[in-house]
Amino acid sequence: MAIELIVTLIMAAGLFGTGVYGALSQTNLVMIMMGIELILAAGLLNLVAFWRYLHPEAIEAQMFVLIVMTVMAVEMAVGFGVAIARFRSRGSVEMEEARELKG
Amino acid sequence: MSVQLVFLLAFGLAAVWFGIVVFRTHSMVRSALALLFSQTAIGAMFLVMQTEFLGVLQIMMMATEMSIMAIFMVMFMMDPGGLGEMDMKHQRKLSLGAGILAFAGATALALLADWGPIATEIPDAGEQVRLLGFELLGRSMLIFESAGLTILTAMIAATAMAVQAANRPEPAAPDRGPDRGKQHGH
Amino acid sequence: MSALGVVILAPVLAAMLVLLLRQWAGVVAAGGALIALLASMWLLYGAVSGAPAALVLPGLPRMPLLLEAGSLTAILSLMVAVVAFFVLIFAVGYMAHDREKPRFFATMLMFVAAMQLLVLSADWITLLAAWELIGVSSYLLIGFWHGKPGVAGAATRAFIYTRSADLGLYIGAFLLIGLAGTSEISASLATTGTPAMVAGLLLLVAAMGKSAQVPLNDWLQRAMAGPTPVSALLHSATLVAAGAILLIRIAPMLPAQTLVVVGLVGGVTTVVTGLIALGEKDLKRLLAASTSSQYGLMLLAIGAGAWVVALLHLLAHAAIKSGLFLGAGVFQHARGSTLMDDIAGAGRAQPRVFAGFTLAALALAGLPPLAGFFSKDAIIAAALASPGAAWLLPLGLAGTVLTGAYMARALMQLWQPTSIAAPDDKNLRWMGWGLAGVVALAVGLGAAFPALEALLGEKMVVSTLAMMLGLGAAAIGLLLGWFVAPRVLLGPLYAWAQNGFAIAGGMDALVLRPAMAMARACNRVEAGIYAGVLGFGRAMMHLGRGTRLTDEAGIDGTIFGFVRATIRSGKRARLLQSAMIHRSLALTITATGILAIGLFAAPLFY
Repeated sequence: MAIELIVTLIMAAGLFGTGVYGALSQTNLVMIMMGIELILAAGLLNLVAFWRYLHPEAIEAQMFVLIVMTVMAVEMAVGFGVAIARFRSRGSVEMEEARELKG
Repeated sequence: MSVQLVFLLAFGLAAVWFGIVVFRTHSMVRSALALLFSQTAIGAMFLVMQTEFLGVLQIMMMATEMSIMAIFMVMFMMDPGGLGEMDMKHQRKLSLGAGILAFAGATALALLADWGPIATEIPDAGEQVRLLGFELLGRSMLIFESAGLTILTAMIAATAMAVQAANRPEPAAPDRGPDRGKQHGH
Repeated sequence: MSALGVVILAPVLAAMLVLLLRQWAGVVAAGGALIALLASMWLLYGAVSGAPAALVLPGLPRMPLLLEAGSLTAILSLMVAVVAFFVLIFAVGYMAHDREKPRFFATMLMFVAAMQLLVLSADWITLLAAWELIGVSSYLLIGFWHGKPGVAGAATRAFIYTRSADLGLYIGAFLLIGLAGTSEISASLATTGTPAMVAGLLLLVAAMGKSAQVPLNDWLQRAMAGPTPVSALLHSATLVAAGAILLIRIAPMLPAQTLVVVGLVGGVTTVVTGLIALGEKDLKRLLAASTSSQYGLMLLAIGAGAWVVALLHLLAHAAIKSGLFLGAGVFQHARGSTLMDDIAGAGRAQPRVFAGFTLAALALAGLPPLAGFFSKDAIIAAALASPGAAWLLPLGLAGTVLTGAYMARALMQLWQPTSIAAPDDKNLRWMGWGLAGVVALAVGLGAAFPALEALLGEKMVVSTLAMMLGLGAAAIGLLLGWFVAPRVLLGPLYAWAQNGFAIAGGMDALVLRPAMAMARACNRVEAGIYAGVLGFGRAMMHLGRGTRLTDEAGIDGTIFGFVRATIRSGKRARLLQSAMIHRSLALTITATGILAIGLFAAPLFY
């Protein structure tokens, strides 16, 4: 019985749902990034669980985890770059106020 | 009920609970700390699942990342202790619906899918790291290298973005924004 | 280290050197191009003597990165190297007074290196990477003077047009990799049947974007906002050529149904853009439209089943068009503008430059014994011999007449009597040498064609009838262009041609087949990537409505319905772009959800 796997997947589902809610509901750029971090963390959890319980012989799975961690780091770096640029020029990182992209 | 399951449940519930706390506190510093705890709990789950290297890596990386995040929070919000009340939410119903739907969908998949037999034998920690090393520096070299290059690019891009803003003349008034957008757009 | 590495790395190293030294940028750049030129000559020598150079680099698991200089790729590599070398020589003079020379020459060299990589790649993954690289570098080069109004927009437009068409390359290449189980191009060409047709059509879309075929031709004329050496390189041997090169390389795989579409796209393009060129008021934009037209002729040749002929015309065109652009650059230098009225008489003031320009123009029109004569007649002969001769031949001949007409018009404008003297500038010497080099090629390249055919192991169809037809069409075109004003010649089409057969007007009626691609491009351009995802869904619904109209109102109804639907969906898509980040995020998540549901539901319908 795959009870450990299912429990882990449900936990990841919880994190994913929370992340989606956060990314959609927050008005602050940094808070949106936190939501996205949670979504990615849920993905990480799934990857590790699949490796551990289904295919421990496929070590590539761990490489995928490293790649997702890279993505998280990149997202943080670029996100903070945008946040700083925005904060310097507009004095706030509230996304309700960001409408310059309006075409 | 195995020991592994108990720990998975405990750390998993902790991770989800702290994940929810991130969006419920009224202080961004507390949010960042809650996210740190959540990510650490996930790292602990990795350890429970016998992937020592990834677990430790997750905890270390997230600790640094979240402390940086906390510093930024203080910088942007001028709210070190979370004393002031704040509410920064919009499109509540939509977000809540989307979150619940995403959770329900993923849970349904987890429960309904036929996962097949569970592996019991896994390589021990040292063997894992050895295999991962060979994987990264052998077959998947290109992918690994491009990941490194991506991080480097992101670092340079982020720095360039943050620095350039300082050199540019400050916009006279907020309403100059759209004009600038038009100049560079089509 | 084989010559393959030198061909690609010499420009890259030269670019780095340019950026480091920040002095003598032009000379260093030309030196790098010269080394690459010698190395690619060596490659061709290897291919001729039966020992083609090849390089295998470790890449993805089971899919190594391959570089190979077979006879076809070695010829193309030599073409790129030669044109790049002369254009860089020219640029030393042209950019002499620009303050940002290092940036210019470094980007040019990167462009050349990327193109060499594209030409020499023997597997799809390297090709995709190189394809992206030339896209980026062309964006940087078109937008080189980004301070000027309109330039940034032109660069963005070029990028988005080619970008959206590139999706075809991605899907097509992955389809071929999946079917063949290997990323080697030569192995994947063994694909046959329906998959080959689908993949061929997808790759055609990518080639249409890059080679500026109707209806994706608009960006090329706007790309004239870049410096003239960029245009010369971009039109003759690099970016625009990439599309035709892609089709030439996959031509052996294409089944008859796909060839019909390729020929039709090429034929329509050669006529439509020929008309645009005739109505153009700006010399550089005229040349740009003529590029589309000539690439249309190449596609027509591929459609007629004679890819060797397309290759020969590509080579001839590379030499001719770079010559024309370099000449135009000299005139632009003298008058500070490329508007037809402003450069009137510029040729009379600089007779030696004008002689070079004229030789190139006559070569393009197809007068013997210049290079264009042989390749153009070969195209007409191929069209005559192909099963689709009934419609390929008239389109090809019309394209030839138009070529003669617009070239004669440009020549006449340059030969007007004038009182403005040519400026005395020592930089002119560099430009002159660059121009002389490519014009010599444009004149003499025809003599090398038999040898090239022997090398490639294919024989051109020779036919006296085709020669007579081609020569007659060229002569008629030249005479019409010289003696009849375009306003009279084009008649009611004049105003229409001048705004480039604007998309909402009547373009749709001319090109029903690739209309889907256009709707997608319109949506992207208008509404940006996010809104495009949903907007496409809406366009599809409107398309459904449009289809229902067909039953009621016949073909006319479809055409107009489609136009209306495109406009309407564009308007709606614009509403979606509220510029609110959270709305965009919500849209993204919705679209992702729909995709996920589709993926999970797919097995149910299997």
